[in-house]
Amino acid sequence: MAQLQPLTKAPITHSQIVRYAGASGDFNPIHSVVPVAKEAGLPDVIAHGMLVMGIAGQALTTWFRHDQIKKFGVRFKKMTFPGETLTVKGFIKEERDDLLICEVVVMNEKEERKLAGTFHVSKEETHA
Amino acid sequence: MSTVQNKVGIETKPFTFSVEGGKIREFVKAIGDSNPLYTDIEVAREKGYRDLPVPPTFPTVIDMWGGADFETLIALLEVNPLKVLHGEQSYDYRKTICAGDVITAVMKVVDQKEKSGMKLFTLETTYQDERNETVLLATSVVIER
Repeated sequence: MAQLQPLTKAPITHSQIVRYAGASGDFNPIHSVVPVAKEAGLPDVIAHGMLVMGIAGQALTTWFRHDQIKKFGVRFKKMTFPGETLTVKGFIKEERDDLLICEVVVMNEKEERKLAGTFHVSKEETHA
Repeated sequence: MSTVQNKVGIETKPFTFSVEGGKIREFVKAIGDSNPLYTDIEVAREKGYRDLPVPPTFPTVIDMWGGADFETLIALLEVNPLKVLHGEQSYDYRKTICAGDVITAVMKVVDQKEKSGMKLFTLETTYQDERNETVLLATSVVIER
């Protein structure tokens, strides 16, 4: 099983989460308003799962050409709080005739898994 | 846990979103992805794209800014916004979406179940281009904990 070059990001900040809320249009206040996060029983706001998946997506298109990615699916495992440093790891699990079946995992510095998923990479480049 | 009726089969109105380069740039900046493919049209064209392609998780922008935003989903599923989590997300890419494309999408509830005291809703979204060709399918699982 071939491991791909891991991608480590700068620590997640409150500002980045707010910026992601604006960019993505996901204004669930649990991500941007601390008192609402506390009302929900959390110690702080949490990063959008989609911000963490976006970071995984960044790694995918670092490892392979953008238009080779055919499928990308993840399961969110654990919440991400400001201050955490995320690393994306990828593995080529299986090689078929025209496709690579790969796994991706995002973890923090304590190796707690934030998301785990799979993606398919076409060996052929196809443009729209 | 709130008692809601079965939501399977419910769908949003079709919503339309014009993909713009500025929104793609804003999105990758928020992620911290400095790949020039998403910001420099010369780089995108050199690599064979019509225009700036959208990053793999950009379809969430089409949903949230196009019509299926957080408030709409909360109302559609009748769930408590303080207890909602995103459980799973997947994309099946059929054609590359680029800046300049006008995408129309519909989100449909395809499954609902209860597990360990939580409610799980599976949503499927189909994205079509101006020629009514399906360019992308997305599936997500929304959890009310």
